[in-house]
Amino acid sequence: MTRPILKLVMTTAIAAAIVSNPVAAQVPPPAKKARRVQIVKAPELEMAAGHLTIITWTTNNPGGTDDHYGVVHYGTDPKNLNKTAKSPIRLNQGHPTTTFRVRLDDLESRTTYYYRVDSEESTGKSDGVKSIVKKFTTPPRDERLVAYPKRG
Amino acid sequence: MKVLLQTCAVVAVPLLLVSCSGASATNPSPPMYNPYPSGILPADVESETARVQGEVQSIFVQALAEANALPPANVTGQPPTQQASGYRAIMTLGKLMNYDVNMSALKNMACASCHMPYAGFGGPIPSVNLTMVAYPGTYHFRAGKRTPQRYTYSPYFPMLQLDNTANAFFGGNFWDGRSTGYLLLSPDAEQAQHPPVDTQEMGLPDTACIAWRLSQSQYVAMFERVWGAGSLTGISWPSNTEQICSTPGGAATFGTNVSPVSLSPVDRNRANVIFDHWGQSVSAFEKSVEVSPFSSKFDAYMKGKYTMTTDELAGYDLFKGKGNCNSCHLDGRGTTLLPGQTDTSTAAQVNPLFTCFGYTNEGLPLNPRDAFYYQTTPDSLGFTANPDGFGYRDLGMGTFLRSGFGSAPSPNAEWTSQAPLRDGRFQVSSARNAGMAPSQCPTTEAPGPYFQKGFFHNGYIKSLKQLVHFYNTRDVYPFPVTSGHCPAGTTEKVDCWPMPEVTNNLDMTVGKLGLTDQEENQMVAFLQTLNDGYTVPYPNVNTFTGQCSTGGSASTQGNETLIPTPTLPPCSSNVCAIPPLPNPAIP
Repeated sequence: MTRPILKLVMTTAIAAAIVSNPVAAQVPPPAKKARRVQIVKAPELEMAAGHLTIITWTTNNPGGTDDHYGVVHYGTDPKNLNKTAKSPIRLNQGHPTTTFRVRLDDLESRTTYYYRVDSEESTGKSDGVKSIVKKFTTPPRDERLVAYPKRG
Repeated sequence: MKVLLQTCAVVAVPLLLVSCSGASATNPSPPMYNPYPSGILPADVESETARVQGEVQSIFVQALAEANALPPANVTGQPPTQQASGYRAIMTLGKLMNYDVNMSALKNMACASCHMPYAGFGGPIPSVNLTMVAYPGTYHFRAGKRTPQRYTYSPYFPMLQLDNTANAFFGGNFWDGRSTGYLLLSPDAEQAQHPPVDTQEMGLPDTACIAWRLSQSQYVAMFERVWGAGSLTGISWPSNTEQICSTPGGAATFGTNVSPVSLSPVDRNRANVIFDHWGQSVSAFEKSVEVSPFSSKFDAYMKGKYTMTTDELAGYDLFKGKGNCNSCHLDGRGTTLLPGQTDTSTAAQVNPLFTCFGYTNEGLPLNPRDAFYYQTTPDSLGFTANPDGFGYRDLGMGTFLRSGFGSAPSPNAEWTSQAPLRDGRFQVSSARNAGMAPSQCPTTEAPGPYFQKGFFHNGYIKSLKQLVHFYNTRDVYPFPVTSGHCPAGTTEKVDCWPMPEVTNNLDMTVGKLGLTDQEENQMVAFLQTLNDGYTVPYPNVNTFTGQCSTGGSASTQGNETLIPTPTLPPCSSNVCAIPPLPNPAIP
């Protein structure tokens, strides 16, 4: 056997080992979809500070793509929710429920906002769950609606 | 076959820049580059760099001895295979390469200089991890911009792919995914090709310099044992090759020429093949049991050979349950997490890697200690690492997909439109060996004795306790401030988290987990079960010759080095005005 052949063989062997890498099989399939996706904990204001507002709600596991988006349609007119905020979360395939949390950055202070929530797969496909329209009022610029908890 | 066992003077005098190879006509080292305000460079950076170089050299000598101890090659069969010793041979070759300081422009830096075994092959200098985050390169003190990512288990990452069905990227290497594996079909092998020619790391100005330096190395015979006789020789090297290769990349003298070593097309092709073999050999080492051995307590637990402590087991339950960590750091288990239930499922994976190979934006604040922000003036060679200063924003994968400043060219135009969806995202590292520390100071947590690490891409987090607390309370204690400006009465990283550097695509799986202080500690205890070295000793975990730290609390570890972030200028057009534009715009 000639050395150039050895070299070629070694290169091929390494490449083959890499191509047949079993890791691809370790990427799990998408989560199983619940028979009927529904909200099990209603949307609510998690916190509202001057710069940041968070809306949270929980559904049963919606299944589909592991990367999901919580979606909040909001505005100051309940009949015209003309703004949208989306935040990504990652489904846990083993969990029976999924908590969505969405950031709304830099809202106006002392203002009442109306909102409705939805969720969708990373492809944009809706989970088919939409809440009723709810509302909250932002605090003054330097205040916080949910007090900072004490540590310990 | 015998490899020349030549220890050179570097063992005794580690700062000497030596060539054991006979290569000559090296350039004198350029004058030190120090654009940093007082206090940015750690006071011991020079002595610590020398300390690591001594440790690197000692393992290099060990690798030479291992090469000499190999049995003669027995190539047999069809296709021909190096029977019995093939694995050991390529792994040993990769080890030699990994610890060879001659693979940097000024012959003072190996791959291992930023990746030592006792740190889980992460950053080996506690003071650098504590302060400047990125490591000094061959040209002192140019530095990169991110923490050296651990390369334990990095060879197990698949090629970077966009799963169109799930609309998500997975695979690749590096924090921003820029090592895709598109040519060698191994992102890890391609990862090993980047630092040697990175201007702020090993600094070789031409990939052909790798072939040149290997051809002058002490282990030519070892290379040719693995890759074939003649595979490293026969290139007609110009007489000025060493002079070029000892000039750090980015020097104005090179202009935009990335191939300053003048080679014929045939020789250029041969050098390219050697460069590929470099990457493949280093990757073979990184995949070997010397780096990625699956020897942790968790691996033993999976096989019924280890009983977790109460805290470790509680931490594991939290990891899978309330903490939801295994939604990204996959643990290879089925989970049934109804209240009161325990996981009795069959292992779905025999070697869980504790990553989903994905990319996420966890909302780390900008770390004003990062050395990158200060390299705004040219060094003596005319190179400026970061003309944008604090106008730079690290968009991670988004910048890579735009082939943007500070990353690498994306080899796939079909991905470009994805950039806005990936801004601020960084690779989900394997949780394995996050807590690896030297045997002398076997924890990363104060009060220790502990080994100081830096966590996440920008090293803002300094302990596992802080890491868990960040995931737990990022959205419980958010303040509209930058690091160093938490309000009076609060403590940064305890009950004040500065705003994220990039809010686009910010992951909301975490941020308010509802863990108690005790539960956070239990999570830390579990994470420590992922450190290799339980079933068999981790090779060279005891090579640390530096000092352990003691005292203080893991919650506030490193807070004494916090500095106020300056008023940030708008995001540079070099970063934020490259189409497709970030959405929303980044201030």
